[in-house]
Amino acid sequence: MATQQYIERNIEEYYVTEQPYYVPTSDEIEIFESAYRQRVPILLKGPTGTGKTRFVEHMAWRLSEGISKRNPEDVSPNGTGEKLPLITVACHEDLTASDLVGRYLLDADGTRWIDGPLTRAVKFGGICYLDEIVEARKDTTVIIHPLTDHRRSLTIDKLGSTIDAADGFLLVVSYNPGYQNALKDLKHSTRQRFVALEFDFPDEEHEALIIAHESGCEPAIAERLARLGVKIRNLREHGLEEGASTRMLIYAGRLIKEGVADRRACQVSVTWGITDDPQIQRSIDEVVTSIFA
Amino acid sequence: MTSSDDPKQSAIENTREELKQFPAPVLERYEIALEKLSGRLADETCQQWSTEGLEIARKTVRSWEAAAEFFDASVAVQRQLPSGQFLKWAKTGTSLCEDSPSLAVAYFKSSPKSMLRLRPRYIDDWANVCRALYRGTWKSSALACRLFEATPDLLESLSFEEFCHFGEFLEVLSRRSYDQAGDALGAGIDLFPKIPGDIDRFINLAQIVAEKSWRETAVLFDSATAALIELNSTHRAPLISLARRLVITGVSDAAGVLRDGANTVNRVPTDSRDRLLEMTDGIAAVSAPAAPEFLKIVPEVLERVTFDQMGQWQIEGIQTARESDEAAVSYFRLESPRSLEMLDSLSSSIELSRVRDIISMYCLALTGRNIDIQAAQALAEKNIGWFQGELPTTEGTTIYMPSVINRYTSKDENFGFFKVISTHQIGHIEFGSFAFDFNEPSFIFDDLRPRLPGATELKAAKAVDEEAKKKASAKPEVIVFGHESPVAASSVTPEPAAEQEAPEFLTDMSRFFDLFHERRLALDVFTVLESSRIDGNVAELYPGIMSMYAIVRGAALESRPEVTDLPAREALVEFMIRVSLGQVDDMIVPGEHKDAARKLRRLIRQVTTVDAIVEDAAEAAIRAYSILIDIKNDELDDDEFEQLEPEEEEESSDNDEEDVVDPEEVIQQFMGQASPDGEGEGEPEDGSDEQEFESEGEEEDYSSPQEVDYRGEFKPELSQLLSQMQMMESGEMSEGGEMEPITQEQLEEMMKNAPEMEMEQTEGEEGGDQQVSEMIENLMKELQKRDTENQQFQPGPSQHVDEDGGPLTATEPDTYTYPEWDFRANEYKPNWCMVHEKIMTDGEPHFFRETLAENAGLVSQIKRQFELVIPEMYRKQKRLEDGEEYDLDTVLEALIDIRIGVSPEEKLYWRRNKNERSVAVAFLLDLSASTAEAIDEAKKPSDDWGAPDDPVEYMVWLRSRRSEGLRRTYKRIVDVEKEGITLLVNSLETLGDAYGIYGFSGYGRENVEFYTIKDLDEKFTEIVPRRIDRIAPLHATRMGPAIRHTAAKLNEVEARSRFLFLISDGRPQDRGYSREGVEKEYAVHDTRQSLIEARNMGITPFCLTVDKAGHDYMKTMMEDFSYEVLPDISLLPKRLPQLYRNLTT
Repeated sequence: MATQQYIERNIEEYYVTEQPYYVPTSDEIEIFESAYRQRVPILLKGPTGTGKTRFVEHMAWRLSEGISKRNPEDVSPNGTGEKLPLITVACHEDLTASDLVGRYLLDADGTRWIDGPLTRAVKFGGICYLDEIVEARKDTTVIIHPLTDHRRSLTIDKLGSTIDAADGFLLVVSYNPGYQNALKDLKHSTRQRFVALEFDFPDEEHEALIIAHESGCEPAIAERLARLGVKIRNLREHGLEEGASTRMLIYAGRLIKEGVADRRACQVSVTWGITDDPQIQRSIDEVVTSIFA
Repeated sequence: MTSSDDPKQSAIENTREELKQFPAPVLERYEIALEKLSGRLADETCQQWSTEGLEIARKTVRSWEAAAEFFDASVAVQRQLPSGQFLKWAKTGTSLCEDSPSLAVAYFKSSPKSMLRLRPRYIDDWANVCRALYRGTWKSSALACRLFEATPDLLESLSFEEFCHFGEFLEVLSRRSYDQAGDALGAGIDLFPKIPGDIDRFINLAQIVAEKSWRETAVLFDSATAALIELNSTHRAPLISLARRLVITGVSDAAGVLRDGANTVNRVPTDSRDRLLEMTDGIAAVSAPAAPEFLKIVPEVLERVTFDQMGQWQIEGIQTARESDEAAVSYFRLESPRSLEMLDSLSSSIELSRVRDIISMYCLALTGRNIDIQAAQALAEKNIGWFQGELPTTEGTTIYMPSVINRYTSKDENFGFFKVISTHQIGHIEFGSFAFDFNEPSFIFDDLRPRLPGATELKAAKAVDEEAKKKASAKPEVIVFGHESPVAASSVTPEPAAEQEAPEFLTDMSRFFDLFHERRLALDVFTVLESSRIDGNVAELYPGIMSMYAIVRGAALESRPEVTDLPAREALVEFMIRVSLGQVDDMIVPGEHKDAARKLRRLIRQVTTVDAIVEDAAEAAIRAYSILIDIKNDELDDDEFEQLEPEEEEESSDNDEEDVVDPEEVIQQFMGQASPDGEGEGEPEDGSDEQEFESEGEEEDYSSPQEVDYRGEFKPELSQLLSQMQMMESGEMSEGGEMEPITQEQLEEMMKNAPEMEMEQTEGEEGGDQQVSEMIENLMKELQKRDTENQQFQPGPSQHVDEDGGPLTATEPDTYTYPEWDFRANEYKPNWCMVHEKIMTDGEPHFFRETLAENAGLVSQIKRQFELVIPEMYRKQKRLEDGEEYDLDTVLEALIDIRIGVSPEEKLYWRRNKNERSVAVAFLLDLSASTAEAIDEAKKPSDDWGAPDDPVEYMVWLRSRRSEGLRRTYKRIVDVEKEGITLLVNSLETLGDAYGIYGFSGYGRENVEFYTIKDLDEKFTEIVPRRIDRIAPLHATRMGPAIRHTAAKLNEVEARSRFLFLISDGRPQDRGYSREGVEKEYAVHDTRQSLIEARNMGITPFCLTVDKAGHDYMKTMMEDFSYEVLPDISLLPKRLPQLYRNLTT
């Protein structure tokens, strides 16, 4: 760990090379595969920390594997028979269309056009994953519309050009319907362009497996963490806006593995993270102290 | 007329003559008295006496009566008085007669007895004291007469001086009210003999009260009678003096001081009483109004801390009292935070009310259900089958717990105890005790349940059997415990009569317990096994709580009765409980039954695992029962008990698969059970068997073991029934088919058979039946509460249109018809509902103003939040790629960048964000009758709002308020709704959004009342607050049409975003809307449909409910709409603006 080498690569050259750990809760893998073969865009719905991002990574890897190993000629992105890149854009409220499409930059010699991530994904033929799409500004949604129907094309008005998407391209977006905000809802004209996969927390057993795997903690600890997750999620809509995410529980597991006392680890990574309300914190603490000795 | 030479004779004769003109009795009595007196009085005196009598008679029209009394009394009085005094006495009477003959009558009448206690020289004073009450009216004369009459009695305990004081007091009081004075007189006669030595002190107090607040004298005497006599004189005097001092300084409630003081003093150990009164004096010296509060609160304080600790608390209170009277009062009412904190820090006990929210949320987390937490007393008071007020228990939806825990010395441990009991109780819910299904196979055991005959079946079968045999021989009525030999059992036909209908049971639990003859034993055994199972699950799933659990279980073991004191069968049940509580060593069991004990222990071990389900506990109970029923409940000597060897490890592993009992034998045994009502078996062998048993003659009646404190009362049957109702309501039982509403008969049947009830019936033979029927009544009520389907609406005043009628037509102005969605038919019923739109009548503007004033802090907070929204609408945005104008700074930077050869920023423009706010929102308030429900708002400081000014009313109000409990004031749900709306409206004006406020209620589909409080296009004027004032609970809740109407209104408004904000307190309900048989879903579906319609119009609905049970139906109703269930209604005013802001920005 003395000299950490960082790896820099172009976003279209980002491939998921290691198999991301993912435990399917139902047939979402098959659906995704089928949708990809048919190039139907996919919408992932679900609360935070339910594995949406991980799922996309897993699928990117899986499809790459499939492409390179199982039937190389069947689906070959970019016509090269190579791996499928994954381009992830986390959307935020200042994300404009040009952040996705690209823009002119001024340089010493004048102006230069730079492709945005979406354009690069379209050109290269990878999965473009727009995380938390509702957070992006409204004008972005207009851009993705032509990409999500039969046209599969990206219009760049600044250049006055249209790019037909490469064969391997697929748009995947995610959003969290849990927000109680009507203005941040996804418009129907947008949402009806996607196949929607609903994500929720895995059941206790699966979650324990996931926690154990991801955090490397003892299976017994993982089981308790999973139980804690289930119990805390019972408080949703009763003061908690969101249930405890699997990610949160994994963090607790990691801390425990590092030797932090069980209860303390849960307190810092779960209780205090999930709410600021002292009374709910106290209640969650009580659940923690019941589950953890 | 007569000769004048004999003056004596002439005076007497004269009198005699003159008296003839009066009614005959006067003369008669004169003659009688004269005869007796003439010998004893000197002639002269006698003449004077005669003349006096005549004068009295002549005084006024009715004074002859007085004269008659005078003559009557004279004889007796004369004996006690010297002649001079005697005449003086007569003269006094004469002068009284001048005022009123009736006074004189009373005077004379009372004289003979009074003279016994009255010194002659006081006669005049006496008459004057009484006469002072007379003011020429009938009432005053009656009062004065009463005092004369009462004099002999009063003088028995009062000195004459005291008597005069009392008279003065009466005089003062009588100026206000003769009735009160009369009552006080009567009360005084009773009271004075009981408080010797303190009479004058008390009269003095009474007089001050009479002067200051005369209306309270009656209460004063009442409470003095009740309270003072309880005290001994050493504490009485200081208390009265204290009351007097307080009254003088302006505390009007002397009666309360006496009552509370006496009450408190009696509750304090004798040696601390003086100290207590000193403490009170100390407070009174600093703040008079606080002293009575202190006296009142002492018992409550002493429940939590020791007397010495209370001393510290009091000293702190005196410090506070120096600040102001208000502070002192609230301190000693236990209302001020400082006081509570002080007490908290002094005590280690924990009150349920202070941790209720935490525990409730803890339970919610563990079970995923809304669990209500109540004091155990509340359930006992409901009288629906639970009796213990101190033990924790649950009926499936609510957990009942002791209201205070102070068994440990630290707060943590006491809270831990709360946690242990709540974990155990919700364990019953979480691990499915009440989800028992008779037909569900068990996990560990071979199922015996389906193979055993129910007692009811058995009885029916036997009846048929006997019919066939036509055996006429009379059998002795002997109560047989089900220990019949298999021989006897085998002769009973194993098949239940086929033609007999299978008996119906309300719950699976009932059916299960019907298998047993000795239901009580079965229940006890099942309780132990099921509790062990729960504990086993808890231990496995919540290891964190086990350390506290161990402490609690240890304590529970300590308090168990000695096994050796119990007869054999009970000893074994006790043994089971001890095993279940984790005792391992030193297990003592009846030596004869060691093997049975081993088996029982194994059964407990088998169910104490996570794998076991409730049906396993049931199966184990059958086995344990079959073992125990064969063991006679004999009284055993100590030496018949032996130690049971500790369990060997292999015991459980070796024969894990093997059942502890032979199933076939058990079946045979159950077949042979005598029927519950004790009819003997029809077999001859039976007789001999009994003979044998009789000869032993030692068997004790079986009685249930003592409860385990943390496990509390477990009532599986009742709880299952209640939680079943709950589930039906929330629609979870839908696959279970249609459940008929439960009838009273069914309940009675169940109660009759339920083992949980038996003990009570046997205890109170007399009142038993009545008690049970009362309980059933309460239970019916409880069930109805849970099952809204059974609920009836009060018939409204409006006309009734049959639900089966056709569509309606809106003919009148301001009426609108709307369709209704029938989810069964999957279609609309056209024009099914009629909405009557009305403008809310005007009320007073106070409510609005006061609410804003009371919540000033919150108001400014909300305003600030809302103001933050405004800049967001007009904010100048910089660094844009295009816009209104170059941003000079950015351009400069860019030019510099170009010069130095780096890529410049291209976002050079700024622009005003054109995100104009265009929001229209309609608030729809539920005004159903249920919003009249009071909410328990513990935080509300007890300011005396609404206290009437009139003293009498004030007393009534005060007393009713006290009885409500000290820190409770009531507010209705609708009041909170109003408050929320008020705060919101006030802030909405800053935002400039178009908003409307509407209320709805109604009765029946033809009468949906829709009230406009503020229309969407109406400006906010002073009339709106006045309308808000009039928001009040009305009738039912037919949400659908109201939502449709509001949506229609919203639809006419031009706005980019439109919102419909529904604020309700419960599920939709109305006649013909929510109680059509099982289809109470109807209302929910129609409401949902109306929301979908609204959404299709581009309106965003949002529902805010304060119904704690809201989650169940809200899930269906609001499936993909936003909603929020408020955990605590008092949050509404705060939450509403927050939600509004989140939703619209």
